[in-house]
Amino acid sequence: MVAFIRELLRYRTEFRIGLALVAVVLLLSMMASFSPYPPDSVYVVPPDLPPSLTYWFGTTSRGQDVFWQVSFAIRNTLLFGGTVALVSRLVALAVGLVSGYKGGWVDRALMSVNDTFIVIPLLPILVLFYFVMRDRISWLMLALIMACFGWAYDARLIRSVVMSLRQREFTQTSLFSGMTTRQILTEEHLPYVVPILFSTTMNNMVWSIGLEVTLAVLGFTDINTPTIGGMIYWANQHTAMVAGIWWWIAFPTIAVIMAFIGLFLLAVSVNAHIDPRSRLWSTGEAS
Amino acid sequence: MHASVEQPHGDQEAQPLLVVRDLQAYYRTSHAGVRRGIRAVDGVSFTVRRGEIYGLAGESSSGKTTLIKSIAGAIKPPLEIVGGSMEFAFLSGYGGLHRAARAELERIRWRHLSYIMQGSMNVLNPVRRVRSSFVDFAYPHIGGSLKQFEQLVVAHLARVKLDPSVLTAFPHELSGGMRQRAALALATICRPGFIIADEPTTALDVVVQKEVLGMIRGIQRETGSSVLFVTHDMGVHAHITDRLAIMYAGRLVEEAATAEIFRNPLHPYTKNLISSLPRIGEDAPRAGLAGAPPNLADPPSGCRFHPRCPLASEICCREVPVMREASSGHRVACFAVNGGDGA
Repeated sequence: MVAFIRELLRYRTEFRIGLALVAVVLLLSMMASFSPYPPDSVYVVPPDLPPSLTYWFGTTSRGQDVFWQVSFAIRNTLLFGGTVALVSRLVALAVGLVSGYKGGWVDRALMSVNDTFIVIPLLPILVLFYFVMRDRISWLMLALIMACFGWAYDARLIRSVVMSLRQREFTQTSLFSGMTTRQILTEEHLPYVVPILFSTTMNNMVWSIGLEVTLAVLGFTDINTPTIGGMIYWANQHTAMVAGIWWWIAFPTIAVIMAFIGLFLLAVSVNAHIDPRSRLWSTGEAS
Repeated sequence: MHASVEQPHGDQEAQPLLVVRDLQAYYRTSHAGVRRGIRAVDGVSFTVRRGEIYGLAGESSSGKTTLIKSIAGAIKPPLEIVGGSMEFAFLSGYGGLHRAARAELERIRWRHLSYIMQGSMNVLNPVRRVRSSFVDFAYPHIGGSLKQFEQLVVAHLARVKLDPSVLTAFPHELSGGMRQRAALALATICRPGFIIADEPTTALDVVVQKEVLGMIRGIQRETGSSVLFVTHDMGVHAHITDRLAIMYAGRLVEEAATAEIFRNPLHPYTKNLISSLPRIGEDAPRAGLAGAPPNLADPPSGCRFHPRCPLASEICCREVPVMREASSGHRVACFAVNGGDGA
């Protein structure tokens, strides 16, 4: 693992940039533990101050320090995206591998469920969830709901890959050597779909964070938990842009864009490096 | 490729390794209520002795692969065994691998029976190192410590002239010939008594082919195993097999020692097949056999070769010729050779 990361650092410029960006964002999110103020307290600092040496990112109209707010917000947003990605990847992987390998009625049953999830319009459903649950909706619950909707496309993608792997000679050989279905799927096919899994994880995080920001900006989430979307929601409520409090919107936006780009570069470079063919190509070219 | 042929060696009286009796394997499909049956293997009987390389020749779509799939027990719908039996020396009482109990299969796989597949250079998982393929496929059948297993693999790789460093390589880093040899090592590492080889050298050029064939021969001699060797390449058969069976449209038409088949083919199909082979020094154009192999969904009545046969008579259209011994160890299924009544 260490050797792998060292190789990545040495040969992949995207990986270095991505790692730097993600490191900055992670550092920022970890700072939240050292915040002098609880995240939901208001009027703890003088309101509407521009960025200065005392208040690095300025203060909000609600009397909060933007730096600490961004720190809490980016932490919650990353946790949210990570949870959605993790849960939905597990479902997508299980459904895709089994459906693609088994075929027949198992495939038909799983894919009819899968297609149902693909055609459901997501945003109205999430808004509906919010109106039914109201204040009981926590970020964890929202994450689980989105994970339930986020696996379907990628399960189909993984299924299509496994369907072709099923016909390959090495699968026939594993079958002939007496490996069980579980062993074939986890030991022979899983390594093949891991790179795909990486890039879909990235897409999924971007999708879920984006959707969460959308919902939060519209006020359809638990707005008391600071998230990037939640901060923008409050800034809009206080007409920050009209009042000239640009730093209230600018810093959370910059933070989330850094997270997006950093994660994207990491995923792309790790993805390219996991595939032995493209790894040889890049290391061969560099050395 | 020279045509030196070894005589069958080993104890002729010993119990045969595999006896196939009247095997019928059909592909049965049902589309929109219309049922179709492809009679890919129809009434095939033969015996593989201990310590011999038994060749199976035939053109594409003559049922070779279906036959060995059936023998290997790799039977998935729509393929069905309709009749007949396959008795192995190491597995009695089931009439074929497809009916054997799971525990029995676990015991047999790899240790007694291994399978070099068509396109065998692709049996290694492309995204895992060669070592992982060995561990996944063969280790469970050998047991012991992983370290011992690795030593065994390295020793066995030396037999196919591969460096131990291939174990840490990915399959795409090896040449086709190296992958082929790795696949061969993988199939033979447990010294199985019976190896099924389905066109193991088809994708190789003749130089590498000869090398790989020599290795198969060497390992077979060393372990005393039997090989069922399938290819459409008569040159390969002449080079490696002890006895040879010719298959046409799902049935065996002739079987004899390989040298005998090349020297004295009896069945009209075999005669045409042998005379179509180019010989050094002859530059006369070869005459082809008119017609095409039959559609096995609707095969010709009687002898399946009769529409193309120069010797066909009226009985050939009505009755199915059975395999009869024309001379010692030389069986042929043809009315013109065996006599008109087919009895």
